[in-house]
Amino acid sequence: MNKYDWLLFLHITGAFLLVGGGVVAAALNVAALRRDRPSEILLLFGLTRIAVAAIIAGSLLAFVFGLWLVSEVGYGYGDGWIVGAIVLLILGNAIGGYAGSRDARTAKLAEQLVAQGDAPSAELQARVRDPITLACNYGSGLILVALLALMIWKPGA
Amino acid sequence: MLAVIRPDSWNLPLFVHVLGAMILFGGTATVAIVGFAGRTRSEHAELLARVSLKTFLFLVVPGWIAMRIGAGWIADKEFPKDTPGWVDVGFIVSEPGALLLIALGILAWVSARRHGVGRAAVAVPVLAGIYVVALGIAWWAMSAKPG
Repeated sequence: MNKYDWLLFLHITGAFLLVGGGVVAAALNVAALRRDRPSEILLLFGLTRIAVAAIIAGSLLAFVFGLWLVSEVGYGYGDGWIVGAIVLLILGNAIGGYAGSRDARTAKLAEQLVAQGDAPSAELQARVRDPITLACNYGSGLILVALLALMIWKPGA
Repeated sequence: MLAVIRPDSWNLPLFVHVLGAMILFGGTATVAIVGFAGRTRSEHAELLARVSLKTFLFLVVPGWIAMRIGAGWIADKEFPKDTPGWVDVGFIVSEPGALLLIALGILAWVSARRHGVGRAAVAVPVLAGIYVVALGIAWWAMSAKPG
């Protein structure tokens, strides 16, 4: 394996952790939407932390080794598709991170409700199904799919 | 340098293949995470077993189909005659690996029927973990192209 092969492998590993982590988070989020008991919602939101760790590690790997590949292969840092990819990566993480902070507040409420007897709560249901949080969660997923398409088609390269 | 140049007609099959592989990886990882969580949280074992089964049906199976269709499509374009060893690694993970996934699906169904307790519930995350490792080997072969 030469240097290019290693850089590509590490860049793709980052991409798999990033998108795979997003898939894990989405699966757990959809499962939580269908639950009523606070302890169940808390459990599913808690497991999402593993996905968040994969998303953060994947974003860093994809970004660092992606930039390294740009110089290794001879692309320009100002090329439209590279600038677009960086913007999409930052935007996807920002929107996903905002949704994650709202989900963290929902998990706190679920934790309080568990301590109070674990009875279903209309407020918790409303927070789990909050349309802004859901739009941000799924919007960040769509941005990742667009980012993958941009990486494969490389328009203008 | 040559490694980054490919005809435009290869892009769509590659996109289908990679997106399918990513969904398959995320779906299988979810089955493993949820399955292992069910071992330590017995009060929620039934819920987690159902989440495992639904994840298998709605993410792992469609992800495998998209990955495999994309793989065959691009392999036909890129290597119409003989496939190199690194492509064969991918086919080994996808085809004999499908048998492992079928076993995983049956065990996930049995586990959900038995409320997340019993041997099937123990086997589901172990098999899912093995498949996640196999997918890691496949993506190493696909990206590093050894040989």
